[in-house]
Amino acid sequence: MPEQPIPEQDPVVTKSYALHYVLAMVILMATLFWALWDEALGQRPWKAFQNEWKQRYTAFLDKTQPKSQSEVKGVQTTPEYQQLDQVYEQANAAAKPRKEELQKQITNLSAQILAVQNVFTDRRAYVNALNYQMETDTSASGKASKRKEIDDYKQKPASVEFPDGHKEQYNYAQLEEKYNALKDERTKLNAELGDVLKPVTAASTAMSAYINEHMVDLTPSQLEGLIKKTKEWDPKIVQINVAEANIVDRCESCHMGIREPLKLTAASMSAKGAKKPDEYANAFVSHPEPELLKMHDPDKFGCSPCHQGNGRATTSEEKAHGNYEHWLWPMYPKENAEAGCQTCHSADMVLISGEVGWTISEGKDLFRQKGCMGCHRYEGYDKEPEDLNTVSQQIKQLEQAKKDNIKEAADLMKQADTAASNEEANQLNDKAVALKIANSKMDGRIQQLDFQSHSLLQDTKKVGPNLKDVRLKLNKNWIPVWLKKPTDFRPTTKMPNFRLSDHQIQAISAFIWQSAFTDALPKQKPGNAEHGKELFETRGCLACHSIGEGDQMQGGTFAANLSREGEKANYDYLVRWIHNARQRTRPYCPLEKKDIGPEDYAKKGLPYQWDLEHSQCPNDGHELQVQNMTVMPSLRLPVEDTQDIASFLMTQKHQEPSAYADASYMDDPKLRDEGKKWVRHYGCAGCHEISGFEDEGRIGTELTYEGSKPIERLDFALFTEAAQRGTTEPITDKEDLQRLPDGPAKGPWYDHKGFFEHKLAEPNVYDKGKTKSETEALRMPNLHLNQEQIRALTTFLLGSEENSLPSNYQYKPGDARRDIQDGWWVVKKYNCMGCHQFIPGQKTVLMGLPQYRENPEQLPPKLLTEGARVDPEWLRRFLSNPSLSETDTNRNGVRPYLKVRMPTFSFSANEQRKLVRFFQALSQQAMPYVPEPVPTLTAKETEMARSLFSSTAAPCLKCHATGDPQHDKIATAPNFLLAKERLKPDWAERWVLDPQAISPGTSMPSGLFRRDHGQWVFAGPTPPSFQGYEKDHSKLLVDYIFQLTPEEQRRVAASMGRPQASNRAPTIRKPTTTAASGGSR
Amino acid sequence: MDWKQLWEICSAPDNVPIVGMIPLLIFYCYLAWKQAKANDDLIGELETNPALAKTHHRKSWPFRPGWQKEVHVWPFLLRIEFLATMIVTIILMVWSITLYAPLEEPANPNLTMNPAKAPWYFLGLQEMLVYFDPWIAGVVMPTLIIIGLMIIPYIDTNPLGSGYYTWKQRKFAIGTFLFGFIILWVSMIIIGTFIRGPGWQWFWPGQTWDHNRLIYEVNRDLPDLFGIASNAGKAIFGAIVVGAYYVLGGFGVHAFFRRYNPKDYKRMSLLQYSLMQFFLLTMVALPLKMLLRLGFNIKYVWITPWFNV
Repeated sequence: MPEQPIPEQDPVVTKSYALHYVLAMVILMATLFWALWDEALGQRPWKAFQNEWKQRYTAFLDKTQPKSQSEVKGVQTTPEYQQLDQVYEQANAAAKPRKEELQKQITNLSAQILAVQNVFTDRRAYVNALNYQMETDTSASGKASKRKEIDDYKQKPASVEFPDGHKEQYNYAQLEEKYNALKDERTKLNAELGDVLKPVTAASTAMSAYINEHMVDLTPSQLEGLIKKTKEWDPKIVQINVAEANIVDRCESCHMGIREPLKLTAASMSAKGAKKPDEYANAFVSHPEPELLKMHDPDKFGCSPCHQGNGRATTSEEKAHGNYEHWLWPMYPKENAEAGCQTCHSADMVLISGEVGWTISEGKDLFRQKGCMGCHRYEGYDKEPEDLNTVSQQIKQLEQAKKDNIKEAADLMKQADTAASNEEANQLNDKAVALKIANSKMDGRIQQLDFQSHSLLQDTKKVGPNLKDVRLKLNKNWIPVWLKKPTDFRPTTKMPNFRLSDHQIQAISAFIWQSAFTDALPKQKPGNAEHGKELFETRGCLACHSIGEGDQMQGGTFAANLSREGEKANYDYLVRWIHNARQRTRPYCPLEKKDIGPEDYAKKGLPYQWDLEHSQCPNDGHELQVQNMTVMPSLRLPVEDTQDIASFLMTQKHQEPSAYADASYMDDPKLRDEGKKWVRHYGCAGCHEISGFEDEGRIGTELTYEGSKPIERLDFALFTEAAQRGTTEPITDKEDLQRLPDGPAKGPWYDHKGFFEHKLAEPNVYDKGKTKSETEALRMPNLHLNQEQIRALTTFLLGSEENSLPSNYQYKPGDARRDIQDGWWVVKKYNCMGCHQFIPGQKTVLMGLPQYRENPEQLPPKLLTEGARVDPEWLRRFLSNPSLSETDTNRNGVRPYLKVRMPTFSFSANEQRKLVRFFQALSQQAMPYVPEPVPTLTAKETEMARSLFSSTAAPCLKCHATGDPQHDKIATAPNFLLAKERLKPDWAERWVLDPQAISPGTSMPSGLFRRDHGQWVFAGPTPPSFQGYEKDHSKLLVDYIFQLTPEEQRRVAASMGRPQASNRAPTIRKPTTTAASGGSR
Repeated sequence: MDWKQLWEICSAPDNVPIVGMIPLLIFYCYLAWKQAKANDDLIGELETNPALAKTHHRKSWPFRPGWQKEVHVWPFLLRIEFLATMIVTIILMVWSITLYAPLEEPANPNLTMNPAKAPWYFLGLQEMLVYFDPWIAGVVMPTLIIIGLMIIPYIDTNPLGSGYYTWKQRKFAIGTFLFGFIILWVSMIIIGTFIRGPGWQWFWPGQTWDHNRLIYEVNRDLPDLFGIASNAGKAIFGAIVVGAYYVLGGFGVHAFFRRYNPKDYKRMSLLQYSLMQFFLLTMVALPLKMLLRLGFNIKYVWITPWFNV
C-alpha cells in the first residue's frame, strides 16, 4: 500500500499544474527566442563581422580623412594649382551676370510649364481614352459618334492659371501648342546656360584632375564615397558566383576589406585600445598581394580555386575555411598558400610575381633537381625518356611495316609474272609500286623520328652521374664509404641517404663496379694547381659548384660541392670531364639496348667515331646516345687549363685516397647478382645511368595528384592516433627534427601538410615501430632537406590536386606566353640563373661571391631585356656556340674581356628554339623577327658619325673591344663589329639614349645625347659639319655602328691612339646608380 | 583507458540519442517496475480482501467518497499531455540548435568510410549482418520482426494487465518483450555504436580505435567441423540441425509454457500457439547464433546455394 497519506481531494481532478505550465511556458519562450537569435545571428556569424566592419572601417576612414585633406591642401598650394584656381575664378566671374539672368528665366519658365502641363496632361489622357474607344468600336455609327465626342471635347476651352495669377482660356490644340512652345524655350535657355558655364566647368574639372593626379592616397571625395558606402551598408551575404566554373565563394561576407582600394592591416583595423588584433581585425585586412588580384580578377576566379576551403559555408570560420573533418579541400595554410598556384599553373616552371611565387617555384625546381622525378612520375616532368620510348616504338613499327611491304611487293611481282592476263599483271604491278612508294614515305617519317630522337637524346638528362664510368672515374675503395652515408662525405650532396646495410652496400658496389666500362683512358700530364684554382674561381664554375665546407662554403648548390674531390676522383677522368663532361666512353643504342663498342663499328668497316654529327648506330642506323646525360656544359677550355683545374681539384681532400679501407670484395662475381637485385629494388637508375637499367621504370608512386589523395589513403601507420591528437612527435632523430618546417608537432598534424612534412623530414618515419624485412621497408631515401626546402616541396605537393575547374582555367596559353612557359623549363634545367639575372630582383649565385662584389663589371650580363636587344637568329647561333668561332673557341664570343665563361651547353635544336623564343617572348618581341633595314649613310654623314664615334667626350672604343688583343684585355664592352648581326637597331638607339634605364648599374654612360627642339643631339662638342643637320644624332651613330667595317674600326682606333684605363666611364656624366651588379652593356 | 576515444564516440551527434537512450531506458524500466510492483501488491491485497476491492479503483489510490469514479479526457488527461508536448518541444528545439546534423564530405565512390555505420536505429540490423548472410539479416529477419510485432495482438489471449502496469499478470508477455527489445535490439545498437570500430572489429569501450589493428580469427562453418565437404551434404546437414533446433526447442518451450503459464496455454488455439512457438524460437535463435559466432567462431550452420543461416 502507498506510504503517503491519502489526500482529501482527488489529485487527478484537483491538482494544479499552473506552476508546471508557467515554467514550461517560460522555458519554451526562452528557447523560441534562442532559436530566433540563432537563426538571425548564431548561424550567420558574418553579420557580426559586417557590423564590426562598418564601425572599424568608418573609424579608419575618418582617421585617414584629415591626412588626405592636409595632403590636398599641400597640393592646392602648388603654383600650378593656384594658376588653375585663378583661371576658374576668372571664368566664374565672367560668366556670372549672364548665368544669373538665365537661371532666373529658366525658373520662371519652369513654373509656367508646370501650370500648363497640369491641365494639358489631364486633357490629353481623356482624349487618348476616348480615342481608344473609338478605335475598338465595331460599328461605323459608333465610331462616328465617338469621333464627334472627341472633336467636341477638343474644342472645349480649358482655363490655365499661370503663376503670376492671370488666367487664360485655351482649346486642346492651343494648349498643346503653348505647352510645346514653352518647353522649346526652356531647352534653348538651358543650352545657352551650358555654353556660358563651359569654361567654368572645364576649369573645375582641370582642378580636380590635378588633385587626383598629385595625390598619393585617395582624395577626400573618394574617401567620402567610401564612408558613405560603408555607413549605408546593409549586412548581407557577399557572394562571387561564377556559373561556368561552379564557383560560389562567400568569403567576402567576412573578409570585407579584401578588395578595398586602401591598404588595410590588422593593426589599423583593430578596435580602439586593443593590444593585439582580434579575429575581426585579422579578417578585415586587404589582400596581401593586390597585384595578384589584378591578374586574377576575383569576379572570374573566386577565392577557393586558389585558397581552397569551403566557399559556400557561412556558419562558422572552421566550416568556411574547410578545416573540419569531412571537408576534402581544407584551406591551404598561410605558409603554403602558394600551393594554390599549382591549380592552374602546373605547366609553369617559374611562377614569380614580385614577392609571390618563390616558394612554389622552389618546390617545382627541387622536385626536379633533387631527382624526385627519378622515382615518382609527375605529369610534365622528365618527359624526354617517355617521348623517346614512344619514338623508338614508332620506329620499330615502321621498320617492321617496311619489311612486310618489301616482302609483299616481291610476292606481288612474282604473282604478276605468272598472271593470266596483261590487265591482271598490270594491276599487281601497280600494287607493288604503291607499296614501294608507301615505303619511301615511311622512310621520310623514320627520318623525322630519328631527328626527333636526336633532340630527345640530347635533352635527356640524369640527376646523378653515369655509373657506367665508375671504373674510370672513381677511387674504388671510396664507393662503399660513399654509399654508407653520402652526407658524411659531402653534406650538401644531392645523393640521398639510403639506410643500406653493410651487406647491401657491398653487393651494390660490386654490381656497379663489375658492370662498368673497362675502356682505357688517355693519360694526362699533371697541371698547375695554383693556376687551376684561379681558373676555377674565375671561369664561373662556382655558379653551379661550391667549394669549401661549412661556413667556408662558396658557390652554388646546383651541382656538387668539390671540397673532397681529391679523395674520390681519378685525375685522368677528371680532366676529360672538365674538358667536356658530355663525352661518353661508349655510345649507347636505345633500340638495341646496348653500349656500342669499336667492334660494332669494325664489323661494318666504319671508323670508331661518334659525336653529335655522327650519331647513327652502325648496326641499325638509328640515333645513338652519344653524350653523357649531364647538364654540365663544356667551358671550351684548352687541355692545359683543364689539367690545371683538375690538378687543383685533386688537391681538395681531407685524407689520401689510399687511406680508404680495401674493398676488393667488389670484384667478387658472386655479389654481382645480388647487387643487381638491390640496384633494381632501390631504383638507382632513376638518377643514374647504369648498365642494364637504361629502360628501368620508376619505382615510386605517381605524385601528379598526390595532394588530392584522401587523407585515409595516406598511411600514417602506427602514428595515426598520434597525428590525430598531436600527442607524440614520431621523429626522434635530432637532425631530422630540425628539418620540420614548424618544428616538432605541437598539435594535431593529421593532414596532408603534416604527412608530407614528416615524410620529407624523415622518409621512413612511418616504418617506425613496425617489423619489416629488408625488402618491405620503405625505400625512399632521406634527402636531407632543410626547413625551407621541405616547406617548398610540401607546398608543391599540396597543390598537386585534381580539380574540378573547367579546362580553360588552366594556364595553357597558345601565344608567346607559351614560349615563356616552355623556356623556363630549359632555363631552370641548366641553372642559367646561377650566372644571369632574368627577373628584376633575382639574385644570381655569382653576385653573392666576394670576388664579384668588388668587380661587378666582371659579372655575366643581365638578361632582363635580352629578347629586345638581340637578333633571334644570331642568338640561336650564339647559344649553339658562344665563342662565335669555329677555330678560336677558348674565349667568349661577345665579351672576351670577361673572365667568366659562357659555356657551350650543347643544346639540342629543340632547346635552342625554345630559348630563343623564350627571350623574344619575355621582351614582348614579335616572332618571326624581320630586321629593319639600316639606311646607308652618305659620305658626309659617315664623316659626321665618325666624329661622334671618336669624340673625346665619348670615346666609344675606349671601353668597347676592338679585336686588338692588347686593347681587349682592358676593354669592358663588346666589339662593335658584332652589332650588325647581333643587335636590333631600334633597341641599340634606345640603348645609347639611356642605358641605365635598360640595365641599371651598367658602366655604359647615360646622357650621351640630350633632347633639343625635338631632336636628339650629342651632348659633347660637335664639329661644325653638324650645323643644320636635323635628324637625331643618336640614330646617326647607331646607323654608323651597324655599318662599321673592321678597316674603319681599325682606322678610328689608330687615330685615337690607345686609350688607357678603360674601367672608368666616359666623362660626360657618370652613371648615377651604383648598383652592385650589372655587366657592362 | 582511452577517455578521448570514448568521448569522441559519445559526443558524435549521431550517437547522442543512444547515449541518451541508456539512462532513459533504465529510468523507464525502473518506473514501470515500481508501478507494476505497487499494482501487484494491491492486486494481492484485493484478492485476499473482497471488501476492500469494492472501495478501491484506479489501482493504487484507495477510493474516497466524493471522488469521481471516472474523469474526462479533457481537461484531466490532455493538460498533462499538453505539458509533455511542451517539454518535448523544448528538448527538440534545444537539441536542434546545439547539435548539427552530422553532414559529411561530398561522396567519393573510390573511398568508403571506415567504420561505415548505419543510422542508429538500424545499427541492430547492421550488427545482425555479422551473424547471418545479407539475405537473412537484411530481408528475412526484418520481415519476421515486423510480422511478429503485427501478430502479437492476435496471439495474446491474456485479458489481464490492460491499462495498468503489472508483472504478475503478464510475466510471459513482458519477459518476452524485455528479451526481444532490450537484450536483442537495444544491446545490438549499443554494440554497433560503442563496440564496433574500424573494420567492424570488436573494440571494448575505452580501447583505441586503431585503424591498423590486425586480429587473427578463422571462422568455420558448422558442417566443416563435422567434416562434411559436399554442397548437398552441407545443405542437408544444416537443414537437419536447424530443424532439430525448432523441434527440440519447440518441445522445450512447450514443457516450460505448460508448466509456468498454464492459463495462457489453455486459452490459446493451436494456430496461435504454434505461431507463438515459431516466433519465439526464431527470436531466441539470434542470441544463440551470436554465441556460436562470437564464442566458437562458427560462421554458418546451414549452407545452401541460396542462403546461409
